[in-house]
Amino acid sequence: MIVVFGAGIAITHILRLFIKWRGWVMQSIEHVIPKLVIAMIITSLLFSLSVLALNYLFNLGVDSSKKLSFLARLSASTVDNGLFILPWVLIYYFYHFIEKSRRQQLDTFQLEALIKELELKTIKAHINPHFIFNSLNSIRALIDENPVRARTAITELSNILRSSMQVDKAETVTFEKELNIVKDYLALENMRFEDRLQVQYEIDEDTLDQQVPPMMLQTLVENAIKHGISKHIRGGMIKIISDFKNHYHELAVQNTGSLNGGLNAEGFGLSSTQNRLGLLYGDKASFEIKQVTPSTVEARVLIPVQMN
Amino acid sequence: MRAIIIDDERLARAELRKLLQDFPEIEVVDEAANAEEGIEKIEAQNPDLIFLDIQMPGKTGFDMLSSLEKSPNVIFTTAYDEYALKAFEVNALDYLLKPVEPKRLADAIQKLHFSETREPMTNGEHINRSMLTENDQVFVKDGERCWFVKLNDIRLFESVGNYAKVFFATNKPLILKSLNALEERLDEKMFFRANRKHIVNLRMIDKIEPYFNGGLLLELKGGEKIEVSRRQTVKFKEMMSL
Repeated sequence: MIVVFGAGIAITHILRLFIKWRGWVMQSIEHVIPKLVIAMIITSLLFSLSVLALNYLFNLGVDSSKKLSFLARLSASTVDNGLFILPWVLIYYFYHFIEKSRRQQLDTFQLEALIKELELKTIKAHINPHFIFNSLNSIRALIDENPVRARTAITELSNILRSSMQVDKAETVTFEKELNIVKDYLALENMRFEDRLQVQYEIDEDTLDQQVPPMMLQTLVENAIKHGISKHIRGGMIKIISDFKNHYHELAVQNTGSLNGGLNAEGFGLSSTQNRLGLLYGDKASFEIKQVTPSTVEARVLIPVQMN
Repeated sequence: MRAIIIDDERLARAELRKLLQDFPEIEVVDEAANAEEGIEKIEAQNPDLIFLDIQMPGKTGFDMLSSLEKSPNVIFTTAYDEYALKAFEVNALDYLLKPVEPKRLADAIQKLHFSETREPMTNGEHINRSMLTENDQVFVKDGERCWFVKLNDIRLFESVGNYAKVFFATNKPLILKSLNALEERLDEKMFFRANRKHIVNLRMIDKIEPYFNGGLLLELKGGEKIEVSRRQTVKFKEMMSL
């Protein structure tokens, strides 16, 4: 009896492994049912065979059953055992079905939350509201003081706002386009900080055609202003570098100041840069921020060069 | 009313100055571009009112206020600053968002007039300008929260190392001032040094009980119990019998 029981467990276990191996749990019910019926008949048949074999081996056969032919005994036993295996399989499937739908629901929720979070963060990270309102305030003051400058400032601010709204539309833009936004941005910051902000550009013209993630350089420059200029009474210098280094397009933003080990506190701007590069280029691009001279911090991105 | 504008951006100062032209009662006597300069000019000019930007290089506007002995009336100006705005909403400090709406500016100034007439400043008797009077306010910042506290409303100063704990209403934040420095600046008719660790506001005393060793035990309106040392008890009795 125990042997029969053990054989039952072994054979249904084999059935389970078989179902798993063929991935039937993941398939739609209409597809699985006919396969499953055949599998169950085979399993039941195998089980009956082994039970009969065991009976024969241990000579447990009851006299009355001896009158029946081997085939009749086998088919009767198969139907009998099939009735046992059927609920077993049903329970197994029911459990998996519930489990699967629960997991799917959970995954969808998590995914939705993640997307929302990322969207919110990108919007926030790209344009700082503090910058927008301060610029508007400066522009209002300039309307009387220097109307011509006020007019260009409005154009510059419009360009930045427009490109920050389009940032999700394209994966990459030409570096030329990105540089123009950065120039507008720095022109506005110059209007606010006046002689506290000096800007230098060191641009290799051949890099202008390279593709870069939109608003990435802008984020780095904004970060440099925030930590390098706005915190210092006398202000400082910002330098933008773009050139080719081996097979990479190098983009660097230098600013006066020191890191002071406060990298973690620098927030979303830098980690989003890292994430975006990872998503676009895998491990082929790199990003680092470090102290290059005692009074200069540099944020540097290396992107693989694209040949057109 | 004499005012100073403190903001690190020249254009922002110019813009505010221009807006203030519509308010002849406000006279802008000076400007400062950062907290250090602000402190200097406040001490030199002793203005009635300052317009103060929060985010400035070096020290923030809040830090600047905390380091002042006493604070003039303050209207904060800020472009956008979630943390600062939170502090404002909690404690009803007056603030203007840049670019400043003229109507909001008018309201803020109106509010100042109102508090001015209700509690006339005793600026006439300037015998000792460094002495704090009961209507003077100090700016107190404790983490994210900050308050302007009238000396009138303070029950107790308690010494905690280099800091002093200030008891008022249900709050007791720390300020970076020693008890001895405070004692020098406080009016002794109003604030009494009860012992090494405590200065109490005499008007906030609820009960006086004799204590062992010939001392006294004061119970303040907030329920704090403060022991008066034997030496100070003599002085206290003298003052009270007057």
